[in-house]
Amino acid sequence: MSGELRPPVLRLRGVTKRYGDFLAVGDLSVEIPSGVIYGMLGPNGAGKTTTLRMVNDILAPDEGEIRLFDDLRPGRIAGRRIGYLPEERGLYPKMRVADELRFFGELRGLGRRVASQRAGRWLERLDLTQWARNKVQDLSKGMQQKVQFAAALLHEPELLILDEPWSGLDPINAEVLREIVVAERDAGRTILFSTHLMEQAEQICDHVCLIVRGRKVLDGPLDRIKREAAGDRLVALDFVDPAAEARARDSVLADPSLVSAMRARRGYLEVEMAGRGQEPADRLLAQLVGQGIGLRRFELVQPSLHQIFVDKVGAENSQKVGTAEVARA
Amino acid sequence: MPEWLVIARREFVERVRTIWFLIVTLLGPVAMTALMVVPAWLTVRASRETVIIQVVDRSGHKLFPDLVTGAALAGVNFDLKEAPPGADDAHLLQSIREEKINGFLVIPPDALAGQSATYRGDNASNFRIKVSLVQALNYAAVKARASAAGIAAATFDSLRSPPVDVVAQTDNGSGQATSGEASFMTGFVVMFILYMSILLYAVNVLRSVIQEKTSRVVEIVISAASPRALMLGKVIGVGGVGLFQLGIWAVISLGLIHFRAEVLGLFGLSGSGFALPPLSVVDVAIILAYFALGYFLYAAIYAAIGAMVSSEQEAQQLQMPVVLLLILPVACVQMVSNDPRGGAAQLLTAVPFWSPVLMPMRYLLGGATWTEVATSLAILLLSIAAVVAVAGRIYRIGVLMYGKRPSLRELGRWIRYS
Repeated sequence: MSGELRPPVLRLRGVTKRYGDFLAVGDLSVEIPSGVIYGMLGPNGAGKTTTLRMVNDILAPDEGEIRLFDDLRPGRIAGRRIGYLPEERGLYPKMRVADELRFFGELRGLGRRVASQRAGRWLERLDLTQWARNKVQDLSKGMQQKVQFAAALLHEPELLILDEPWSGLDPINAEVLREIVVAERDAGRTILFSTHLMEQAEQICDHVCLIVRGRKVLDGPLDRIKREAAGDRLVALDFVDPAAEARARDSVLADPSLVSAMRARRGYLEVEMAGRGQEPADRLLAQLVGQGIGLRRFELVQPSLHQIFVDKVGAENSQKVGTAEVARA
Repeated sequence: MPEWLVIARREFVERVRTIWFLIVTLLGPVAMTALMVVPAWLTVRASRETVIIQVVDRSGHKLFPDLVTGAALAGVNFDLKEAPPGADDAHLLQSIREEKINGFLVIPPDALAGQSATYRGDNASNFRIKVSLVQALNYAAVKARASAAGIAAATFDSLRSPPVDVVAQTDNGSGQATSGEASFMTGFVVMFILYMSILLYAVNVLRSVIQEKTSRVVEIVISAASPRALMLGKVIGVGGVGLFQLGIWAVISLGLIHFRAEVLGLFGLSGSGFALPPLSVVDVAIILAYFALGYFLYAAIYAAIGAMVSSEQEAQQLQMPVVLLLILPVACVQMVSNDPRGGAAQLLTAVPFWSPVLMPMRYLLGGATWTEVATSLAILLLSIAAVVAVAGRIYRIGVLMYGKRPSLRELGRWIRYS
């Protein structure tokens, strides 16, 4: 699903935010197409939360403009069409579960009765009906997380914004959330979430953008990004025995006009071709076969999102991916 | 429904629903009944209690019999016993320790020449005891001097009666006098209730803000409502609980005052307790206006403090200056009640942080003109606007900050930039 033909739900143009001398977000321009799952990726401290807070009118940008839906500014009107699950999230512990959901529905502009009905429906969907009249503090942490999802979705927002939604979730709730996100997308809604977990993003995103040190490094549909990053330049090799690998390293793989880099992976050798396209790979295969080197695997592969991320941020910091150190490197 | 109203209703409903609200609301009437019954009971008890005093008369004028007569005229139930002039202090002190007597009065040789007598006893701090002893000794001394001047005892006694008295009335010149004591009691009770309730409910706002931070719910709320709407809704919701509770108490206390004789009768006491003068509708309106405005002023400050800290322990330190600000007028109550029209009272009731507590009292004591009430209300309203503007900015940024408390410089930046 590319979604590029649809009108954007959210548009940021030249958005900049500083905290004193610290640049949190610098000249950020992105468009979120409607009806997609959009992942905003980047290490901690890259400016993701600040960006999402600006979209939710919790912070105001210093420069640039943010437009939502039909040319709306962030604020009360647009806010009623947004569902937001912040990274720091919680519930009023002493409220009853059903009352709490109704409160958040009313806060987003629902009438009292409609809010009550939808609260009931969501509790049913999340298998929490029998807890409706209990206080939130009586629920387990996992159940409270489910209630938080429902609170963000009760008013049926067109745009659902989730900040690091998988942090702190157990595997079962992570799966529940994934199902909700996909179901909401299939129902025509747009989901924008931030994460520093590339594996999560890779499994579920249609679109991604990568932010490092407050600036956008890369964005677009995930499949296109992977294709372009690969450029048919990565080949996975596995040999029949170590001797065969040693022979290959001494001969064919030592040719710099053919091979630009090699990385030992678990169970295979990843070879980066010096040239783009199918032809250099064909040449590599022909030479390996010509030299009689025994092969168990020869495959053109796409890089993982993690690999793309590391390449973009800087290979020397690969161990520190996912930490703020990357941003300062 | 606007967001602030949704928030205010949540605050109101969630608070009123708790068992604590019920308990505190029911404790109010119990406290009020106690306030009425206990002083009456103590007065009755004090009037029944006998104060035993040994009198050592070293004046050589045989003042003791007249002292007994004089003491009978005083309000205290004395049991005076004569000790020989040579009685030993140590022995008398021993009697106090053994609780045989409350104390002893030593009349010095030159008492009639103006030398002061000494009273030592376990109740010497009791103002009424001292005043009564002075009265009794004065009576005896004057009678002795009269006798020395050749005035017969019968003539002396006839000169003393009927006794003269002074009835004090509060009057600001309007001619509508009320009893000074009753006015003071009303003013004092109103002042105390205002002080208590403003502090109590403003602190509730503080706790509510901190709880939203610690439960991490605040960001979800302010993504749907502006921080200003959240602060406003919270202050109004908590204040609504305060007005609701005060309203319940007001109705109950009016009933208690109306049936005070019956209530006292239930406890086996006669009399009418304190006769509070009836409050007019205007009086009540002024009291409520000062509660509402005073509460709003302090609640806004407390909301900002709540936004600056991450825990109630941290808030304890920061709220000290604010509590002192509110205690100061309570400490200055006498300056206002002693001279409601004086310069000190005028100054104290003009300051916005103090006028909510002191002005209703000064007004009830008849010390404030309408111009002064209007001026103090205007100053209060302007101050609230300024404080809410500053507190709103601190709140806006503070509620999203976790962990570190801002320094004064950072606080200044929050106020300037937001």
